[in-house]
Amino acid sequence: MKKQALSVVLAAAMTAAALAGCGSAGSTGSSAAATTAEAAAAATESGSDSTGEKVTLRFAWWGGDERNAATQKVIDQFTDAHPEVTIEAEPGSSDGYHDKLATQLASGTAPDIVQVDPERMPTFVDSGDYFYDLKEYGADTSLFDANYIGLQINGNYDGKQLGLPTGIAGPAIIVNKDLADKFGIDLQKKDITWEDWIEYGKKVHEADPETYLFCANKEYLTNLFVYPLAKQYDGAVFDEDGKLVLSQESLTKIFKYIKDLYDNNVIAPASYTASYIADDLQSDANWLAGKYVGALCFISTMDVMAAGYPDGNYVAATLPVIKGAKDGGFASNTPQLLAVTKSCKHPETAAAFLNYFFNDKTAEETLGATRSVPPTEQARKICEENGTLSKVVVDAADIATAIGGTPNDKIASSDEAKTIVYDAVEAVGYSQMTPEDAAADVLDQFSSLAK
Amino acid sequence: MKETDSTRMKQHYSKRDYKAYLYLLPWLFGFFALQLYPFIMSFIYSFNDYTVGGKMNFVGLGNYIQLMTKDRDFWNSLKVTILFALYTVPGKVILALLVAMFLNRNIRGINLIRTVYYIPSLFGGSIAVALLWRLMFMDNGIIVTALSHLGLKNVTFLGSPRLALPTITALEVWQFGSSMVMLLAALKNVPKELYEAADIDGANKFVEFFHITLPQISPILFFALLNQMIQELQNFTTPYTITNGGPRKATNVLGILLYKQGFSYFKMGYASAISWVEFTIILLFTLVLFGTSKFWVHYADET
Repeated sequence: MKKQALSVVLAAAMTAAALAGCGSAGSTGSSAAATTAEAAAAATESGSDSTGEKVTLRFAWWGGDERNAATQKVIDQFTDAHPEVTIEAEPGSSDGYHDKLATQLASGTAPDIVQVDPERMPTFVDSGDYFYDLKEYGADTSLFDANYIGLQINGNYDGKQLGLPTGIAGPAIIVNKDLADKFGIDLQKKDITWEDWIEYGKKVHEADPETYLFCANKEYLTNLFVYPLAKQYDGAVFDEDGKLVLSQESLTKIFKYIKDLYDNNVIAPASYTASYIADDLQSDANWLAGKYVGALCFISTMDVMAAGYPDGNYVAATLPVIKGAKDGGFASNTPQLLAVTKSCKHPETAAAFLNYFFNDKTAEETLGATRSVPPTEQARKICEENGTLSKVVVDAADIATAIGGTPNDKIASSDEAKTIVYDAVEAVGYSQMTPEDAAADVLDQFSSLAK
Repeated sequence: MKETDSTRMKQHYSKRDYKAYLYLLPWLFGFFALQLYPFIMSFIYSFNDYTVGGKMNFVGLGNYIQLMTKDRDFWNSLKVTILFALYTVPGKVILALLVAMFLNRNIRGINLIRTVYYIPSLFGGSIAVALLWRLMFMDNGIIVTALSHLGLKNVTFLGSPRLALPTITALEVWQFGSSMVMLLAALKNVPKELYEAADIDGANKFVEFFHITLPQISPILFFALLNQMIQELQNFTTPYTITNGGPRKATNVLGILLYKQGFSYFKMGYASAISWVEFTIILLFTLVLFGTSKFWVHYADET
């Protein structure tokens, strides 16, 4: 009988545990926040957050070690000053981050404060009411450039500040000047053209068959060459109403250019780079061995690339613009947004934390440039003074902002559209499609995405 | 005691019998919440245009029609999925059988050797091993470097649309341990008398294998085949982590197609339709395998 009683208890306990597991997954916010939710919500409504009511916030972001350490430090600084607040850090990798976030948003289990890719943001904003308007809860944006923060790509959706931009980022090309000098090429010259790169690439590969001009894979070629060229030729890929703007003629020319890059060994063969998917480009063994003159990257990843081969003497390359361009093509905007999700029970506290994060000088000094060139002038000054912002990064930001351009539209920046272009670039790279066919094929698929 | 027995007969089921459900509760909960509910919901989703967080719009067979007639990746993915299973399942089961036969002997330290051979399966589905595989077979990887020292220059495994699929299936074949353990148990159960009798009759090892070993272990062999087939037709982790479906979609199995539609493009209705097509295909293969079983699977009690 004893045995039986014990097994009944055990069975009941297992069920309860299973149910509890499900329960906490289904509840919003952290379990600690959920238990005190009602009381705390009442407290925040009356604006008395500092009455000693315990508040727990979850803060999720992706990034490398440096960013993680700096962010954790800022969290500690804030919670030291506000002992009633606990902030649970959830640092992660960018790989799969947004897939997970999408599921969490849909099920109401997202962390309170989340870092979001601004190009993913429109899809989220479209599919549900997931984020608070930060200005309503006391976010102070007075230090930001009003024009900059007013852009949709920087978090402003129809007047609602659904996210705050963490910095200035954009396309960049990092160059090892020592190697460039060795091959006698000048990647920093004014008014450089797209064709110059082909000539330089030939020269480099002829002089040393193991070396290529640029380190690039299909994802980087799409983001740094195909889209910017498309905007330079036709002004946009899709217009604001979701109509396809890019012409077949322009896209054919672009894919011809991509083919030229491969055929003239300006970049490594597609079969070689196939092993380095997306941001894995940073671990390209030949880059780590210093066998590229330069690499396609973003302002936010320049330091990572430079760290890959520390013996290089790095500078930022100038970026080419075609004659009669309709758009600069190289848009700079924030690499990430920080947003507060609707599963947050204490949006005021979250906004207070963001105010500290963005506006406090100590926080700005701690964060340095771990989320690329900081978005406020005050922070940029601090970083330049204490040397956390390297010259190559400042130069790249200047080059990109000087050329400027429209950010990717909602459709072109969607994963689905980008995948279509990735596949076409790959097909051209493997010589399995002619530029003409690839262009026709992409536009055929794009037309089904157009509205 | 007698009395309680007779009342039980009358009542048919006693309170005590219903207690069984209490013991079953943990499993029942798991089954209903984690299997039956998603199973039914995905079936409903598959007839709807449903984006994560959005509204459901009933489209009837729209998703299925789109998938079969318009989706440019579907037929390729179907082909890749079936090829993936064709490469891995026979390879895995044959390798498992060979190793099991090798391990089915009494020598010193045989238990250690058995454990060592089982280790790769403990890594099964592990991301770390998949990444290791990628590092080994990429263009600067140890395998390609070793080959180039042997004089084979410019070999590409993961970057070649032709070789990428065989390369990643090799990882699956390598993880043959679970089938091996079952087959080893089956081999140990073959009555020794049968071999002795065959020896007396003058049969050689070859004849013994085909006329005694194979029929005797055929039920387990059948089970191993079935299990592996279902598992490999559903495989996702290996191609996703090693090649992400590329190059040129050469390893884009249905699982990846489904994942991208569902979790990258948020088209859950469409993804559900893909999963139901995949389910149907697995069901068909299973039925075919069952159909052939009566010709080659030998059950001792049927004689």
